[in-house]
Amino acid sequence: MIRITEKMTPRAVLDTLRRADGYYITNTARDMSQSDYKNRILLHTDLMAAEAREEAGYFSLEITGGASIHVDILRKQVDPFLKLKLLREQMPDTMFQTLCRGVNLFGYRPYPQNVIRLTVREFAKYVDVWRTFDFMNHVPNMEAVFEEVAKAGKINEPCICFSTGPEHTDAFYVKKVREILDVTGTEIILCIKNHGGLGTPKRIGELVNAIKQAYPELIIHYHGHNTDGNDIGRIQAAVLNGATIVDASDHSFTGFYGPPPVLTVIQTLKDYGKTAIGINEEAVIRSSDVIRDQRQYYGQFEAQIKGFMPTVQIHKLPGGAMGSSLEQASKGGFLDKMPDILHKELPKVQKELGNWWSVTPGSQILWTTAVANVLEGERYGNPSGDLKNLLLGKYGPFPFYQPADWIYEKAFGPDWKIVLERDGGVEVIDDIDIDKERETLTSKLAKEPTEQQLVIYLQHPNDAVNFFKFEEKFGQSYVLPPSIFLRQGGFHLGETMVFRDHNGKEHLIEIGPSQEDEDGRTNVYLNVDHYQRTYIIEPEVREGTTCQATLSKDEIVKLAKTGDIRAPFGGNVYDISVETGQDVTAGDQVAILEAMKMQTPVISEVTGKVVDIATEIGQALKPGDKILLIEPMEDD
Amino acid sequence: MKTKILVANRGEIAIRIIRTIQELNYEAVAVYESPDKDSSHIRIADEAVWIGDGPRSDYLNIDKIIDAAIHSGAVAIHPGYGFLAENPDFARACEEAGLIFIGPSSEVIEKLGNKVMARKIMAEAGIPMVPGTNNLKPGDDGLAEAVAFGKKYEYPIMLKATSGGGGRGIRRIESESELAEQYTIARSEAMAAFNDDSVYLEKVVVKPKHVEVQIIADKTGKTIHLGTRDCSIQRRNQKLIEIAPAFQLSPELSEKICLTAIQAAQAADYFNAGTVEFLLDKDNSFYFMEINTRLQVEHTVTEMITGIDIVRTQIKLAMGKELLFGQEHVQLRGHAIEMRINAEDPQNNFMPEGGKTITVYHSPGGYGVRLDGFCYQGFTIPEAYDSLLVKLTVFGWSWNETVDRLKRCLHNFVITGPKTTIPFYLNLTNHPDFKKGQFDTSFLDENEQLFEYDEQASEVNKLARLIAEIHQKKQNTYAA
Repeated sequence: MIRITEKMTPRAVLDTLRRADGYYITNTARDMSQSDYKNRILLHTDLMAAEAREEAGYFSLEITGGASIHVDILRKQVDPFLKLKLLREQMPDTMFQTLCRGVNLFGYRPYPQNVIRLTVREFAKYVDVWRTFDFMNHVPNMEAVFEEVAKAGKINEPCICFSTGPEHTDAFYVKKVREILDVTGTEIILCIKNHGGLGTPKRIGELVNAIKQAYPELIIHYHGHNTDGNDIGRIQAAVLNGATIVDASDHSFTGFYGPPPVLTVIQTLKDYGKTAIGINEEAVIRSSDVIRDQRQYYGQFEAQIKGFMPTVQIHKLPGGAMGSSLEQASKGGFLDKMPDILHKELPKVQKELGNWWSVTPGSQILWTTAVANVLEGERYGNPSGDLKNLLLGKYGPFPFYQPADWIYEKAFGPDWKIVLERDGGVEVIDDIDIDKERETLTSKLAKEPTEQQLVIYLQHPNDAVNFFKFEEKFGQSYVLPPSIFLRQGGFHLGETMVFRDHNGKEHLIEIGPSQEDEDGRTNVYLNVDHYQRTYIIEPEVREGTTCQATLSKDEIVKLAKTGDIRAPFGGNVYDISVETGQDVTAGDQVAILEAMKMQTPVISEVTGKVVDIATEIGQALKPGDKILLIEPMEDD
Repeated sequence: MKTKILVANRGEIAIRIIRTIQELNYEAVAVYESPDKDSSHIRIADEAVWIGDGPRSDYLNIDKIIDAAIHSGAVAIHPGYGFLAENPDFARACEEAGLIFIGPSSEVIEKLGNKVMARKIMAEAGIPMVPGTNNLKPGDDGLAEAVAFGKKYEYPIMLKATSGGGGRGIRRIESESELAEQYTIARSEAMAAFNDDSVYLEKVVVKPKHVEVQIIADKTGKTIHLGTRDCSIQRRNQKLIEIAPAFQLSPELSEKICLTAIQAAQAADYFNAGTVEFLLDKDNSFYFMEINTRLQVEHTVTEMITGIDIVRTQIKLAMGKELLFGQEHVQLRGHAIEMRINAEDPQNNFMPEGGKTITVYHSPGGYGVRLDGFCYQGFTIPEAYDSLLVKLTVFGWSWNETVDRLKRCLHNFVITGPKTTIPFYLNLTNHPDFKKGQFDTSFLDENEQLFEYDEQASEVNKLARLIAEIHQKKQNTYAA
């Protein structure tokens, strides 16, 4: 009955877990942030909770990985390494845990092997427990991560992703576990990753039992989501059947799609004679209390649809994708179509595409395909690049069955068999020249990057550079509480705010008047530490965009027919497939746009010559922004 | 009707003079060119006369200034510094128009303004001089003369335009080959700049201190000094910081320099206030440089340590009064430092920031602080003139106290809009050698780190900028 701490060796941790008379709890703060607040819980809030969370005695704090690294630099403007460093200072004894998407690392698409290894090595300096999964449960996709984690002397926690349906039998999962153990050996923790919160307590109990029967010494960590409101039931069943670690988080922030409250888990299992080992209940309560009043500032990131969603058992969207999916529906104006999409089309698409696991990046493929099928009328009419890659088996083999021929025909045309023959199979990404990437980054930053900056850059090059520029300009903004950093509608005249900067110095800022000059610039007057200062804000020009007026969808289509190709939706330019002067034929792909993690090809409507490319790779486009111009060939 | 005095200048020095004129219960007449229409020297004056669109040409137009004085009924003209201050023709024009020129006679200005003539007078009076030549002969003969000089005194040597001054028309020659190269260029440049191609040579005193003496003489020939000033901290021979008294001089050396200055002034039959400039070598030998026949920018430091209003004294002497106090009444107390706060970007080679509007102007105050400026919040700095915004002069009993006060004032100064020399000065006041008072004319060249600062660098400033953006855009676009 001892608390597990960061100071212990992996072997000592695993031995302690095997001997445990009771169970341990991981606080999945990252997953709560991702599932219920679009990953926006700031480091400021995590630092507020740090002391109490440390005292609470968790097995681990899941605080990085998943989409959080991207959101850290993109929306929270915090260095994901600095975040871990600062939390470590406050939490010396608690192990930190990450969620790694195997070959996809913390992104949405496979990375080269050397990038995977470098990334794991750098993060392993701060991360003790590595939960790694693959959305196809394709073990080879996780091997590089397993190896690097083992080399770094950290704990591997491979996942079997869990779902429901006739194919998802105990026998299948036990076989999967064996595949994993064949690669990793037995010195691991096995995670049952129930990212959708699927199945009943009974089903989870059976699965845990089946695995325990096959591998009595294997430590099982059950991960679930409370989307249907019943994850406590599943946790209870998991523990009673032999799971040693379970996931939950602070009750003052629990929502609908993330983890259930820690305290409820403890109270429920106590009545079954199961003790939460190492846990200080008083500290669990206190960690909720200290951050409770911060929740109001995150309201803007909570999902558009609130309330438990037992229909997750039908649509199977993972908790981590609920927020972004609902946001897309809201922004796209099709919230009203959600019942159709979620309860009819998604389950249909799931089955059609192979009934594998709806988790990143698979969940995005399912979601995007279902949305397109409903909104565009023609099912599989404009398959995304990712769907095509999936059908070609680039992400791994289909675990149960291959989708029907007609879907292949929709995606690749009548010659789909030839295409599949030619291009099919797991995609091997060649190593990149990391030194060359370092040079590129050096020139972009005008100084030698640190190894950690390089790693961040290799994950998301454009967003990383923007983040480094932000840091340069605005300093370490994690010191600002959400009431400032996430403020909507501006501050009140005379409002004062007090905070400590990164160096620990306390500052006081008072909001003064603002005034616009004749050039449209605004002078914002602030009293900074009792000195009046002016900050000149340039008039808003949306960076990186090339078009002024917003065009309607019809106008964009009309222009495309003349060769003036505009962005059909807002997104980043992922690739430009042609060069100026190149001849194109109607139907050729000329560019790829990326939005909501998905790639969508942009197709030329005309035959002609590319005369101008108005954008560049990485640029953020609004709907209607120019991509390129094709001069249509004259009809003879 | 009150006596009127016209101030033939602009900016901070016009205001400084106007203040004394008003204290004497006289009326001050300002003049201005169009680009200066919003300058506060016009507002503080009792009268202001527009003299033209300029820029600069009307402040330099003797006839217009004399006309303005006559029409406004002024009896005297104070020229300030720069513009017409050391122009003998202007002094003469005043004299001929029956106006009192507040300064020495045109004759004195003329002979001291000519470098070669000035050196001749001083050499004859036995004032120590940097070894040098007379005007070099034209053409190759002059070059031969120069080469011989270089051999005798060793390089580096200075090649100077006879009509140059204020740091202009001077070039340093490191070798004989460079001399041959620069000789012709120097002549043609001098011709273009000063309409006089005469040049001469001087030995270079390596890493000297610039020490000068404020002198005052009345018409009876009574000449006293108000102590020394150290103006060693310069950039490209332009003074940035001035200190009184010159720091770390022994009382004996100081006395010797001051007495030599009086001797020099008397040799030139000097009248009114002036400054005798010396180069001080490391071996404590000092050499005459020149006499400035005007009120200096840095006169404020001398006023701070002596308690004597130099401008008031100038006016009284010009009006024919005799000096009412003698050398024995002049007491030098404590230390004073003046910094010229310019609208310039020190990191960009002191590029002027003219044309920009001052959006915030907060000046420091308190004990031992004097400000001579002319700017205010909302003032757009004219591009046509020099970039001096305000002179910050601080006084303190000890050197350390004075430096501490200076630093405090620089911290308290807030000027936004144009870039200023303030952050650079802050670096300087933190420099250990400056704190110890150890610096010479090579100080800036040898301390490039003084230019390493980032005005927005402080963490709170960066965060405040973010807060300003969140406020103005009504959301944090970096978190949206």
